[in-house]
Amino acid sequence: MTNRPILLVEDNPDDEALTLRALRRNKIPNEVTVARDGAEALDILFPGEGAEGMLPGLMLLDLKLPKVDGLEVLRRVRANTRTRIVPIVVLTSSLLEDDVLASYHSGANGYVRKPVNFADFSAAVSALGVFWLQLNEAAPEYVPDYVPTSD
Amino acid sequence: MGQPPVAETKADRDWSQVALLSAIVSSSDDAIVGKTPDGEITSWNQGAERIYGYRAQEVIGQPMTLVCPADRVGEIQEILETIKRGERVVHFETERRRKDGTTFPASVTLSPVHDESGRLVGASSIARDITEQLELRNMAALRRRADDLDRANQKLDEFTYSVSHDLRAPLRAMSGFSAALQDEYQEVLGETGRGYAQRIQAAGNQMARLIDDLLQLSRVQRATIHLQPVDLGAEVAQIAADLQRGEPGRSVRFAIQRPVEARADRALIRTVLENLVGNAWKFTGHEADALIEFGTMPAQDAAVGCYVRDNGAGFDPAYADKLFQPFQRLHSASKFPGTGVGLASVRQIVERHGGQVWAQGAVDEGATFSFTLDARNMP
Repeated sequence: MTNRPILLVEDNPDDEALTLRALRRNKIPNEVTVARDGAEALDILFPGEGAEGMLPGLMLLDLKLPKVDGLEVLRRVRANTRTRIVPIVVLTSSLLEDDVLASYHSGANGYVRKPVNFADFSAAVSALGVFWLQLNEAAPEYVPDYVPTSD
Repeated sequence: MGQPPVAETKADRDWSQVALLSAIVSSSDDAIVGKTPDGEITSWNQGAERIYGYRAQEVIGQPMTLVCPADRVGEIQEILETIKRGERVVHFETERRRKDGTTFPASVTLSPVHDESGRLVGASSIARDITEQLELRNMAALRRRADDLDRANQKLDEFTYSVSHDLRAPLRAMSGFSAALQDEYQEVLGETGRGYAQRIQAAGNQMARLIDDLLQLSRVQRATIHLQPVDLGAEVAQIAADLQRGEPGRSVRFAIQRPVEARADRALIRTVLENLVGNAWKFTGHEADALIEFGTMPAQDAAVGCYVRDNGAGFDPAYADKLFQPFQRLHSASKFPGTGVGLASVRQIVERHGGQVWAQGAVDEGATFSFTLDARNMP
């Protein structure tokens, strides 16, 4: 169980509204922040100079995004020590084998094709929320000055 | 005692020069032919004997048209005109005729020959059989065309995927927001309004299925086939079990022959059986005592012949051929839902396995779909 927020990275306003509705209707209580492109997502995660970036409990990531694409966001999140632990599920329309492969190789925890039918879509979003935010034991936050006390 | 040294005269040197040139000409692989300005043959080297099949003594004094196919005789006249103007003809590609009447592609170069005073005394031609060269050129062209086709197919793949991706997004919105209307604005909409919203949702879902089926059809057309032994009976049994699990309320008897060994691409042949058995399941939906059979039949020359038979709604045999065309449906969507793409995929796959598929049936008397597979006839 984690109360860390959900970061939804989605450029299509319809899909954004449907995802938010599905989360609401399935009573996933976590706060949701929406980034409309890859650059915005990176700003939220890595605001730079002094500011603390968001550490989401779950990232729902579309692949085809303006500015910085989903795969690049994935790689940047995985390359950073603090955000490396964030569960990322690619949520996209594409079933292109290359996209699936590239997503996993770039560090995705899951890959879900958005169903067209809203009942199926809602069930998929609910299952992701329930598993990653409620069932799954989230990784503790990384503390840079943490030194193991072994003696 | 040796011969006393003899001083070499200019005439001697000229003579040896001529002998050398003559040796070069006679040993050339090309047909080197001399002719008068009017096209009468005056010299004929060994290359010409080999290429045309005529001995020199047979052709000296004959017109050049002798080695020209009948439909190209006019060409010789044009060439002679060019030579008379003092111009050359370089690497002219044409056809020539051998003594035995056969023709071959030739590349010909002709030059006017002038005497010391500059008067035109004749022409020399060098001809080469370019059969092999043309074959290589054709092969290169074929290879280029195959590469172009590969690239075009790849582009089509990318296009198909991007279209399917882009088309699904608005459909999801149609389905999603009409569901939202039905959920959250039930009372405002009233019964008729809810019905409309439901129709929008159903249409969106149907179009999504169409896109998926079209994608499958295009994949089937280009998929690489990996042949392996497959027990078709075992596949049908699995499909039957899946269908039963999906609709536990229905009672359908299955009679499945096992094993039915075939050499086929497992994934593709599975698509065939899923479509045929799935159709049988669908079209026996209104049948109290539904029976679906799978078995083999004599297949004449083909390696395997199979059928899937049901006792369901059947079809009008007048339309038996139309069944396999994309988007052809013989039943109303309200009675039996579907997109009409499944059997088109079936035919594609069966034909790619060197087989044929056909349907027999009558209205309300069930349908039998038969197909053959034969790896030896694969296209």
